Order: sequence, then C-alpha cells, then structure tokens
Amino acid sequence: MASLPKRIIKETERLISDPVPGITAEPHDDNLRYFNVTVEGPTQSPYENGIFKLELYLPDDYPMEAPKVRFLTKIYHPNIDRLGRICLDVLKTNWSPALQIRTVLLSIQALLASPNPNDPLANDVAEDWIKNEEAAKAKAREWTQLYAKKVDDN
Amino acid sequence: MSTYEEEHGLNDSDETGNHRNTERRELRNEFRELFQAYGSNNSRNGNNDNVILLQMLSELIPEDLQQEWFEQIDSKNRKSCSKEFIDSLPRIKANSIKDKNAECAICFCKFLEDKYPLVAELPHCGHRFDLECISVWLSKSDTCPLCRDSVLSHKTDIDVSKTEMEEDWGMYG
Repeated sequence: MASLPKRIIKETERLISDPVPGITAEPHDDNLRYFNVTVEGPTQSPYENGIFKLELYLPDDYPMEAPKVRFLTKIYHPNIDRLGRICLDVLKTNWSPALQIRTVLLSIQALLASPNPNDPLANDVAEDWIKNEEAAKAKAREWTQLYAKKVDDN
Repeated sequence: MSTYEEEHGLNDSDETGNHRNTERRELRNEFRELFQAYGSNNSRNGNNDNVILLQMLSELIPEDLQQEWFEQIDSKNRKSCSKEFIDSLPRIKANSIKDKNAECAICFCKFLEDKYPLVAELPHCGHRFDLECISVWLSKSDTCPLCRDSVLSHKTDIDVSKTEMEEDWGMYG
C-alpha cells in the first residue's frame, strides 16, 4: 500500500483534535483511508434525534477526487437512494481539493436539513416528496425512529 | 454468457447472434445519447416527452449503469487547463509571502515549511497554492479550488468589457 499523504494524516488529526459538533469520523485501524462516520439528524428536520451511520472512503487520487460517501443507515430522503448513495454536487461535479472530510460531512448534514426533491436523479422518494411533502416528512420521521435510534453501541 | 437459444438447445446461426449484439449496442448508444441530452438540459424548457421517456427508461436500466453514464458525461463536460497555461502561472517569491502560517489549501502544508517553496498565484482571484498541487488540479479542472473562479475566463484581455464585469459581480455576490 502506498504511504498515506500528509494531507490525510493532518485531516485525521484535526478531526480528532477539533471535532465537528454532531459528527464523528474515525479511520479504520487497518485502512486509514476508510472512515466510520456518524451524523446526527439536524434539529427541526424529520431526521431529528436520529444517528446515521455512513462510510467514507478516500480514493487514491484524493484530494483531486472527492471522497466516496454512502449512508449505511436506512434513510428516507429524496437525494439518497436505496443503496445509501448520496446525490450531492460537492461529491461530484462541484468537488474542489480545498474541500475536506469535515466540509463534506457538514454538507451532508445540511442536505438532511434541506432536502432537494427537484434534483434530476430518478428517485421514487423525490416524487413522493413533491406530491405530498407532509406525508413524506412523516415517513422520514418514522424511518428515523425505526432505523436511526440513538441506542446502539456499535 | 449463455443465451436463451443455447440453454434450450436451439441452433442459432452466428449471423443472427452478431446482429443481435449490434442491435443491443445501438440501443445502448441511444440510451446514452438520451441521457446526455437530459444531462445537459439544465434549463428544463426542453422537451417534456424526453423527461417522461427517461423516467421510464431509468426504471429499466440498472442504477449502477446509470450512475456510470452520468459520471462519464460529467467528466466529458469538465474543462481543464492546458499545460502551457499552467506553466505560465505567475510564481510567488518566498520573501513576498507575509503570513508565516499561510498554507496550501490542497496539501495543507505551510508554504514556508519548504526552504525554496514553489508557489503559484492564480490570475484574477489571486489565490495561492503549491505549484505542484495546483498543476495537478488544473490539469483536470479550470476552477480555483477556493473560490471556483474560472481561471481561464479572464486570461486573455486586460480590457474588461461591461459584460465581463457583470459576470464577476455574480461570482463574488
């Protein structure tokens, strides 16, 4: 395995020394490019009181290429598909090497606070969201209760 | 891959097989073109039929494949800078870097950690990076990592026309 770039080491250190409120990111012992992530659902959103697990992987080209991030916890959201893949501009076309793990996770948290059902990615959830936003939000709350409960010591 | 005919012991001539493959390839290309048309249609004033058709198609095409196509389209649409442009970026002398702690936003290393730092400044926005770091980025993109300013758009003329001024306002607004 190629040695870890200094930037990744620095980012990891800063994540630990200066953590982001409501977000944790811990590298795997055996692969320092792979992070276990948790994101708290933003208050006043349907995801409030939920803790969502994600996986984050820094590809070989990082930071020239965006991290790969995926939800592991099931979530009902118009920009997140069944496999947990996230439709977010900074993870695709709007990636910049000046962005970091920290800013990406904050963007994801912000996406939970303000879903964007008009995104062109084909998704049944987005359709539901546009048709009946209140019902969709209720379902999102229900899923948060079902799958993203805080009691989990993993 | 075994076909229906093989599994059922039916003899199918090679010619028909090839023909089918070609057909399949053509169909895939058509899908891809449609995706392309849809992907570039930001203004939404285009053809509504396309959108409906695409929704139907997207139910049929595996999501992984769709994702792959979108990424292909994205990478094709992305602009990058020529080697000549990158080589022509102005360099900054170490003694003109006043902030001792100033660091490159790409590698997170302090410029002055290096005795002989090679630092480049982007035209127009003036953001500074290690030459090595920004070179790699600009070979895949034409934007400043910090402000997303399109570095190529200001390159040629110093005589700034009114339309360009307006663009700049938008960028910093």
